[in-house]
Amino acid sequence: MIRSVAHQQTGAWRRAHKARHRRAWVIMAGVIGAAIILMALGYFGTVSWTTLCNAVFHTTYRLALAYGIALILGVSIALLVGWSPFADTFFPVFDVLQNIPSFALIPFFIYFLGYTDQMIIFFAVSSIIWPILFAILAAIKNAHKDLGDAATIFGARGLRRIPFYLAPLSLPAILTGSIVGIAIGWESVIGAEIIANISGFGAFIKTASASGINQAAIAGMFVILIIVFVINRMIWTPLLAESSKRYAE
Amino acid sequence: MALVLARVSAQFKDEETKNTLVLKDVSLSIPTGGFVSIIGPSGAGKSTLMRVILGLMNHTSGTIVRNFSRPAMVFQNYALFPWLSAIDNVAFGLRMAGMSRRERKRIAREKLKEVGLEHFENHYPSALSGGQRQRVGLARALAISPDFLIMDEPFSNLDTITVESLKADLLKIWRSYGMTIFMVNHLIPDAIELSDQIIVMGTRPGSVRETISINLTRPRDTRTERFFKEVDYLTEIIRTVS
Repeated sequence: MIRSVAHQQTGAWRRAHKARHRRAWVIMAGVIGAAIILMALGYFGTVSWTTLCNAVFHTTYRLALAYGIALILGVSIALLVGWSPFADTFFPVFDVLQNIPSFALIPFFIYFLGYTDQMIIFFAVSSIIWPILFAILAAIKNAHKDLGDAATIFGARGLRRIPFYLAPLSLPAILTGSIVGIAIGWESVIGAEIIANISGFGAFIKTASASGINQAAIAGMFVILIIVFVINRMIWTPLLAESSKRYAE
Repeated sequence: MALVLARVSAQFKDEETKNTLVLKDVSLSIPTGGFVSIIGPSGAGKSTLMRVILGLMNHTSGTIVRNFSRPAMVFQNYALFPWLSAIDNVAFGLRMAGMSRRERKRIAREKLKEVGLEHFENHYPSALSGGQRQRVGLARALAISPDFLIMDEPFSNLDTITVESLKADLLKIWRSYGMTIFMVNHLIPDAIELSDQIIVMGTRPGSVRETISINLTRPRDTRTERFFKEVDYLTEIIRTVS
């Protein structure tokens, strides 16, 4: 977690930040309000909340695990490539690899891992890793030359360059890459669950839609929206705000 | 001599893998403990020369003799690490040298005091003004006790009042540390006020056109006739090489 420090911020920055924060809460209040009204009207009467919560838990835990693996792999690969003198050579290779539609690779994952948790998790890793990897590589590539020179002159040479210069330099990129990666991750996990029909939110909405119980699918969407909002407000928003203050020019 | 360059050339490789000659046959020598400025039009390769001297860029031919062991640099755009507080920026070089946390904090605090920023040690660069950032950059360089300090247009992003006070501090520091200072400067009066020697560079490709010794007594009065004559002389030389 980044340490919090007092910063001089402009009034305009603070106002814009607060307005954005307010808008997000207004949207969420609307979503929660709509859910409460529908509940009060008995619209979700037929929904099995235990099954739904169980499904959402499975999906969220797979996503969390996949994100953790993708983060460790993506950050390590990007920092090593960014540190090496071959970064420019690797860029086009990664570019081609990330352009392969991830769902086209799902038979490959099923073949090796079967219809299992691991299959969904590693399939999601293969989608989440790219935004993290590219964000870090771009941050390293676009860093001001003087900053790299200062690191070299004052002793951050060899492998020490990674923890003392490249890693802290990449922190904002890790954050933005993570936000995009997790958004893609939700799609991958839910999509894989639908295709493989493995217990989880994907399979839940597939079953709900197939049997015509649309209330269950709508309830599921509300739950996912609330989870995404909470993750965004509790984790990403404070980290992004801190990073944009700290790394401001 | 702290530094000797003999017929040093350097080139860039652009995206079409064409080689562009940036420095051609640059020869110069910097006396130990001296204050030497380098001046010249944009594109003369001044910053490239700094990078070549520090070994951050390879030269293609010629010889460089470096008689210094602890070089440091102050950058035009400060180049402070935004993720570190002022004190941690100053202590960065000491941390890389393996100094204990307590000792490096003590030295960093001392250096911040020396540049007049003792009350800003926990501020991050984004919360500092341009002048304060440049002072942190100077403190970071001083923390490693450099014997050779390179300054790449350190005053170019600062206002006049800040520049005047920084120049006074810099001269004081130079005298007390006894180190060699090699500064890229784009302002002729500043170069004359500070330096023992001024190297004039020309463009396409960058090369040394003239080396001028400044024999004015220190502290220098910038309003004397002799000072203005030096300014006129140097201005004329720069006009001819531009």
